[in-house]
Amino acid sequence: MWVKKMSPLVILYKDYSENPNSALSNFTEDVLPSLEEQGVPQLYPNDSIVDYKKELRSLNRELQLHILELADVLVERPSQYAKRIGDISSVFKNLHHLLNSLRPHQARATLIHIVELQIQQRKQAVEDFKRRREEVQRLLKDAFITLDGQ
Amino acid sequence: MDIISQLQEQVNSIAAITFNAFGTLQRDAPPVQLSPNYPEPPAAAAAATTTTTTTATDGDATAAFPEQPKQLSADLVKAAKQFDALVAALPLSEGGEEAQLKRIAELQVENDLIGQELQKQLEAAEKELKQVQELFGQAADNCLNMKKPE
Repeated sequence: MWVKKMSPLVILYKDYSENPNSALSNFTEDVLPSLEEQGVPQLYPNDSIVDYKKELRSLNRELQLHILELADVLVERPSQYAKRIGDISSVFKNLHHLLNSLRPHQARATLIHIVELQIQQRKQAVEDFKRRREEVQRLLKDAFITLDGQ
Repeated sequence: MDIISQLQEQVNSIAAITFNAFGTLQRDAPPVQLSPNYPEPPAAAAAATTTTTTTATDGDATAAFPEQPKQLSADLVKAAKQFDALVAALPLSEGGEEAQLKRIAELQVENDLIGQELQKQLEAAEKELKQVQELFGQAADNCLNMKKPE
């Protein structure tokens, strides 16, 4: 007996003939920066606006310090490496979280740049149109003058 | 590659240098004498009389061992400095999400305006083109009609 197994596309478009809106696939929200409280302590202040450059630099300093601490611990008290490794990995997670939260900013900056470029191109096109139309008017007027002269 | 991806790659390479450094040092570390009571290992004397090729490479590794931490830490510091340079190169001009959104709204208004202007110019130019084509067609027809068929 054949068992009906629906592929994901069939599931998505199953009721399309009745309701074309049922195949909307934009259900995901762009909540990329999920909360830092998913187990990683937050090492940089995130109350209002974050000064990205300053925080990235201070996280880098802290990373170097932790690596140095790890080297010391390995020399003197090798059994206590786990806490240091945990500290280093949380610094790395903070760094990556900061960088990821820069992505929306980058997206908006790219959008601004693209729209500015498009405005510039449209202005250029308007100027070209005006110039060409004026030239056409001139040529036609000259032609009429030549014709009237005959 | 864009600056944020470069920063992310730099963070990952700092991590790689770190664990490669510690791993290499731990793997290649020569044995350390724990207490002056233990005798010198006779294995060093015995190895000196065996085949010269293997001892040459081993000797090179153990002789060059103190160089490794210097080199690895130099690599680490260089990577950290490059990270700082990349952070300094971040084009973080706009201070805040609201400022960016405001700018995007302004640009949208301006883009719409100039788009309407462009559309007007386009329609007028198309109308003029049609007129010119019609006139040209009439002129050509008149020219053809004035030719006496022979």
